[in-house]
Amino acid sequence: MRLKRRREAAERGRAGGGVLRQAVGGQWRDTTAGAVLEAIHQAGEALVPVVVGVLIDQAVRGGDGRALIRWIAVLALVFVGLSVSYRMSYRATGRAAERAAHGLRISIARRVLDPRGMASGRLPGELVSIATEDARRVGAVTVALASAVAAVVGAVVGGIALLRVSVPLGLLVLLGIPPLLVLAQLLARPLERRSEAEQERAAHASAVAADLVRGLRVVKGLGAEAAAVARYRRTSRAALAATLRAAVTKAWHDGGVLGMTGIFLALVALVGGRLAAQGEISVGDLVAAVGLAQFMLTPLLILGWANAEIAQGRASAKRIAALLAEPHAVPEGKGTLPTDVEGEIAFDEVSYGPLEGLTLRVAPGELLGVVAPDPRAAVALLRLLGRDADPDKGAVTLDGAVLAGVDPADVRRVVVVADHDADLFEGTVAENVAGPAAEPALAAAVVDLPQGGGTRLAEGGRSLSGGQRQRVALARALATAAPVLVLHDPTTAVDAATEARIADGVRATRESRTTVLVTTSPALLAVTDRVVLVADGAVADEGTHASLALTNPAYRTAVLS
Amino acid sequence: MPEAPDPTAPHTPTPVPEPRPAPDEDGRVLLPVAEPRRVRAAVVELAGEHRGAAWGGVAVLVGATVVGLLAAPVLGRIIDLVAAGEPAGAVTGPVVALVVIALVQAAATAVGVSLVARAGEGMLALLRERFVERALALPLARVEKAGSGDLTSRVTGDVTVVTEVVREAVPALIRAVLTIVLTLAALAVLDWRFLIVALVAVPLQIVTLRWYTRRAAPLYAAQRVASGALQQQMLGTVGGAPTVRAFGLADRHVGLVADRSHASVDLALRGVRLVTTFFSRLNVAEFAGLTAVLVTAYFLVGRDAISIGTASAAALYFHSLFTPVNVALGLADDAQTATAGLARLVGVADLETGDEARPEPSDEPVIRVREASYAYRPDRPVLHGVDLDVAPGERVALVGSSGAGKTTLARLVAGVHPPGGGAVTVGGPSALVSQEVHVFAGPLAEDLRLARPNADEDALWAALEQVGADGWARALPEGLDTVVGDDAHRLTAAQAQQLALARLVLADPRVVVLDEATAEAGSSGARALEASADAAVRGRTSLVVAHRLTQAASADRVVVLDEGRVVETGTHDDLLRQGGRYAALWRAWSDHRP
Repeated sequence: MRLKRRREAAERGRAGGGVLRQAVGGQWRDTTAGAVLEAIHQAGEALVPVVVGVLIDQAVRGGDGRALIRWIAVLALVFVGLSVSYRMSYRATGRAAERAAHGLRISIARRVLDPRGMASGRLPGELVSIATEDARRVGAVTVALASAVAAVVGAVVGGIALLRVSVPLGLLVLLGIPPLLVLAQLLARPLERRSEAEQERAAHASAVAADLVRGLRVVKGLGAEAAAVARYRRTSRAALAATLRAAVTKAWHDGGVLGMTGIFLALVALVGGRLAAQGEISVGDLVAAVGLAQFMLTPLLILGWANAEIAQGRASAKRIAALLAEPHAVPEGKGTLPTDVEGEIAFDEVSYGPLEGLTLRVAPGELLGVVAPDPRAAVALLRLLGRDADPDKGAVTLDGAVLAGVDPADVRRVVVVADHDADLFEGTVAENVAGPAAEPALAAAVVDLPQGGGTRLAEGGRSLSGGQRQRVALARALATAAPVLVLHDPTTAVDAATEARIADGVRATRESRTTVLVTTSPALLAVTDRVVLVADGAVADEGTHASLALTNPAYRTAVLS
Repeated sequence: MPEAPDPTAPHTPTPVPEPRPAPDEDGRVLLPVAEPRRVRAAVVELAGEHRGAAWGGVAVLVGATVVGLLAAPVLGRIIDLVAAGEPAGAVTGPVVALVVIALVQAAATAVGVSLVARAGEGMLALLRERFVERALALPLARVEKAGSGDLTSRVTGDVTVVTEVVREAVPALIRAVLTIVLTLAALAVLDWRFLIVALVAVPLQIVTLRWYTRRAAPLYAAQRVASGALQQQMLGTVGGAPTVRAFGLADRHVGLVADRSHASVDLALRGVRLVTTFFSRLNVAEFAGLTAVLVTAYFLVGRDAISIGTASAAALYFHSLFTPVNVALGLADDAQTATAGLARLVGVADLETGDEARPEPSDEPVIRVREASYAYRPDRPVLHGVDLDVAPGERVALVGSSGAGKTTLARLVAGVHPPGGGAVTVGGPSALVSQEVHVFAGPLAEDLRLARPNADEDALWAALEQVGADGWARALPEGLDTVVGDDAHRLTAAQAQQLALARLVLADPRVVVLDEATAEAGSSGARALEASADAAVRGRTSLVVAHRLTQAASADRVVVLDEGRVVETGTHDDLLRQGGRYAALWRAWSDHRP
């Protein structure tokens, strides 16, 4: 068991590496250019104190005016070099990071919207955070990589310069810095873990505040303002205590690193000063050595930072890889649907979820009502018709073609399933209700908004009332003029008079095209050709709405109570 | 425009009142933004008890920086000793001094940063608490006039920005500025002429900074808008994935995501270009200053005015200014963003919270509406002289087709809007359950306790049971302790509605206004919710907006609204007998119910 889990983890790790390699590899030009240029920049930064040391030694000390001009010219060249390379390097890595993240976002969007669906349910919030935060982190690996390469180069250049000044001094710095940084890291690790947890609690305070403000209407509706404020104050105070603990811990850690660095530089001054006093190195060399020792800390700090960035990027890549490799809810299909769809739907002994051996035929052009008192049965029926799922047993066919064998995207070109809780999208009503029959659909669904089709839908249509939202969603479904249309409870938030008009509208627009109305609304059922009652997973009764209402008590309970 | 003076307008201490912002094309009037002077005053107020920590922290950091700056002259002393041909042992003393300096600087920095954090975090906590308190006390009508996004974006976006800046940028900025000021002072101590020439860099830096901030603020604002749009698009697309699949809209939505992502990438790259240009322009200032210091050293040493050690120290000082100057200038625009965010927070935190819409109180649990009229826009009145009475304990259903004014009347009674004309009287504590359902993130028990903070578990279960929600609540993985909300266990729309009704039971108001609490749940679900709603309002004076006529049939009395007027009122049976509009509606509804 454990072995299997480990193997799975290893596979995920490999997949994460693949995502990372692909993202960085796709931007190799910019990443490489960034690394080379950043190395030049680092070398330039390292050269500044060296040139200053030489200038003091040769020009200031000896009072040599020519040497002064010469070395200022050298300094100018160094500055031009480091400035230009810095600018170009960051632009290259910035491009690489943004483009890599963009590519990943698109792949993730494609995967989430894949017609074959996803086997496991994931929360939208999680998916959005993978598509934005994780994609950004993987992209940022290009920046970290380029910086790391450059830091190594900078460290090597600084090391060589130091060794040229003095071998023992150079060795002291080169051998002294790594244990220093390791020590700093070791100091930081337990603190980091603690402060991360505490910072999370601090972030919680902002989240709670945002949540209370979003629920403003509810809080005010109940007159619960005082209770909400009191609760928020408690959360905020707890967060404050946690943040302060984290901040103080961090302050002492930073102070510790500062102290260690200072002591290390004192050591360099001690050794360098003694060497200079003994005449082993010049005064200029001493100045340069102290400057270089200070400089050398930077590339090594960058390496530490890049290491952490890359580790984060790897974790993000793993999450992205897992999402991209998520199994599909339904397999692809190689079968095809006839070019001219008649629209005959048949369930043959279908078992799936609460459905047990359901057999049902819908004639071409028929307007069929389906009453399923068990909401789960209704959902199962819809999922099968839209091929969001395949039956465990039996088959669903369209004009004789088994749906499970046809590509889900092809199925949905013919069979449109309009779910009860379908989402509307940002944009205008006209943009949402697009399709060959948009005009009659808007009329049939009685969409009467003051600004008509130009009405903007904000926040997924939250700007409309429930009833208006539902009517726009219905209009969108009708506008497709699909050969087969399945509507689930399309009028629950609509008043009775409007519902009756909508029922007539649906009937008229779907004339001679197959339509399945999964509903318990009598107004809608009254306009159907035929109604089936699905109970205990199979068809329990069928007939017209009027006859079933008279003869079947279970139907009456479901529809008329 | 006949409009009552808005008591929610900001009370600025300035004698000149802020001009009233004109509504935008959607008729929105955004919440106020505080003026710079008021923001400064608010910061001083917030500092209050934390003033000691703040000044103490800055003082300790000054000490730390001064001690740190002593390192350079000590190094210069070592160089002088070496140049004077002293023996190797002579450097030991200054090196010990360097170690002491390092230790003192480390400890002082830690103490100083901790104190600054204590002050900063304390102020932040106070600010966000005050903001939440005022936001919750705002009249709903005022929030809606601004669009709900205005308040939400302030509590999410601005609070985050201000927090990040106070937490990360302010301590760094304080340290950088102190280092710069004190390093310049140290340069002057070495020789005053060094200070004069070092200032050569300043005009260059000022010009560069100006150039940068002019471009940075609008660019970063555009970036925030673009990344918000991308996030929004992602949420819409991902949240609506089932719909996208059902309607075969995948290509279009991938295209929309790509467009938004492109826009955000373009702006991010423009930002990179701007920042890199900014810092490479600062390199020019660095070079100019460094050269000036070196040339000065050349002349001063040549005239024996200073030692070679002092010259070295001056060069080291100036070189060590590079980083803090870049930090300080780089943070300048963060500080600007935070100030803008702060102005938006203080603007709300300063609002007066006059509840102008509260209906007049009454001792008896009654609802009395007299000659009430209302218009969202002056040219489109929604209610005309409506009279309505609900007796203690009576349940009245409001009926009418869409747009008849049902919801508006309910909102007048609930105190969301003040009546445009006439009067509304409501007796006793009242509650409104509206179309908006919100599940508060956190344990389910906490959500329920918003309505009655001291309720024990039994009371919570009793409330859930009364509205028929105990079934699913017991099935939750951790019962009442289950964390619910968008990012945790998500409740269905119907469960969220039942939760709203359970809160109502716990709040136990004498008067209830119920609007469309059953709309979201499919037909069979709607009937279950109707039963929940019946249970929740039983025994209370209640006004129910009936979106399903069964709700009307079971009410004590029915009031029919049409185009903003009461056209019929009576019991269900009476109205059916009268054969008027209600009877027509009922026929349409029951036609299919033989």
